[in-house]
Amino acid sequence: MALESISVIKLRDLLLVTVPPDPDDETISALQERVLQAMALYEARGLVLDISTVQTLDSFFARTVAETVQMVALMGGRTVLAGMCASVAVTATQLGLTVGNALTALDVDRALDLLNAAPSGARRV
Amino acid sequence: MKKATNTPSKSPATVLGSEESFRLLVEGLKDYAIIMLDPTGHVASWNAGAARFKGYRAEEIIGKHFSCFYPTEAVQQGLPEQELKAAAKEGGFENEGWRVRKDGKRFWANVIISALRDKDGSLRGFSKVTRDLTERKQAEEQIQQQSKEIMELSTPVMQVWQGVVVAPLIGSLDSQRTQQFMERLLNRIVETNSPVALVDIMGVPTVDTQTAQHLIETISAVRLLGAQVVLTGVRPAIAQTLVHLGIDLTGIMTRSSLSAGLQVALDILNLKVVRKDDSR
Amino acid sequence: MNEPHQGEFRITSEHDIVMARKVVRDAATALGFGITDVTRIVTAASELTRNIYHYAKSGVMHWRSLNQDASVGLELTFEDSGPGIADLEKAMEMGFSTGKGLGMGLPGAKRLMDELVIESTVGKGTTVVVRKWLKK
Repeated sequence: MALESISVIKLRDLLLVTVPPDPDDETISALQERVLQAMALYEARGLVLDISTVQTLDSFFARTVAETVQMVALMGGRTVLAGMCASVAVTATQLGLTVGNALTALDVDRALDLLNAAPSGARRV
Repeated sequence: MKKATNTPSKSPATVLGSEESFRLLVEGLKDYAIIMLDPTGHVASWNAGAARFKGYRAEEIIGKHFSCFYPTEAVQQGLPEQELKAAAKEGGFENEGWRVRKDGKRFWANVIISALRDKDGSLRGFSKVTRDLTERKQAEEQIQQQSKEIMELSTPVMQVWQGVVVAPLIGSLDSQRTQQFMERLLNRIVETNSPVALVDIMGVPTVDTQTAQHLIETISAVRLLGAQVVLTGVRPAIAQTLVHLGIDLTGIMTRSSLSAGLQVALDILNLKVVRKDDSR
Repeated sequence: MNEPHQGEFRITSEHDIVMARKVVRDAATALGFGITDVTRIVTAASELTRNIYHYAKSGVMHWRSLNQDASVGLELTFEDSGPGIADLEKAMEMGFSTGKGLGMGLPGAKRLMDELVIESTVGKGTTVVVRKWLKK
């Protein structure tokens, strides 16, 4: 698993990345790489990270996501984490993990709505 | 207290001989399994109670090792030997656990194993007294199950509209209850795809630092999902306590009543309630 | 249920972190833990396996089912011959880390599991044992 398994889809001026169910550390790092490349290439203003199939969210994943969110922000984009499942949310909270300044949404549809809404409609985590 | 002064023609001991009467007593006892084991744990004697609980007749069990009464996991972990060792070391050993009958059925037993030593202290064997407490155990488990159900009933999470769930909390929140509540709330939010959860604490009598921490944890978890919590039913006393405790609830939406919270929910969802006969 | 009650998994590469998660997920699920507890156990295992890989380069994870009368549980043991931890107290503090920003492994695992026991000798290695019991 590495660079090739992460696909970044361009939806107008937004990026969509679907994270695989149990990515290894290399894949997670590759994700960061691909996202930043795509941000530069398409000058996107937002990123949706679909984590609806992710089963484990440990401190490495959380840290990498938080870093990615910061990097995307520096490049002018907002990030939304979409579809976290209940058991992962419980565990992450118990671990005290945060995902930086990422927004969150129940699913990809709502994530896209969020990024397309007026700035005042956005909710921060 | 009157002292009995009868002069029996024969003392009980002479009627049967004390050892004989004791043997009859033990053997005939049906409510307790009383058996003897040799120093290595093989069955040396059997009584009516043992035959009743464990299902073996004396002829088929004497000489066998007592570990056959234990479930396989216990045998794998070396539990029977450990119990004998403990009894030999301390003189006696008592515990409760599952035992297995001849037909494979399990029963919950209270067991006392005592080391039997002769005058010079050498180990002659062990006595093992077993009581069948399966009924009591079943009653305990039923109570546990019912407590669990009561807990679930007392913290329901209901969808009141598309996109809004309401969770009225009644009673105090300990760690376990909060954990269960949090899981249920999060699951309902995902199931119903509701971006707003109204958590009503009107029925929570007091809020201490721990309860507040639990609530804050729950609210953080809901945020990770992509939904948000509006804490409603914040009574004046609770508001005072929270401020006095220095609990930071910035960033968390709160309202004094559930209906006010519902209004916030509608605003977030961009909905409004309109009267039917409104011609405008 | 004819699942094996114990097993061992060697950790020698970064990819073994995700493999260890899979092993633990299967074991915990087979024992009957609910999805949230499985997630907790797997996440704790992920943290501890990563600790081994990053601090000691290699180690081993043992797992076994526990049976104590009416309770069923899962025990994971993480052993390595790495540098060891000099200040155990500090290592158990949330957010503490000595390198690669890897704090949170031990305190995190402690929060997620029911029991955590750790032994470490500088220059010799570390052993961490964690247990979680099935709640009735």
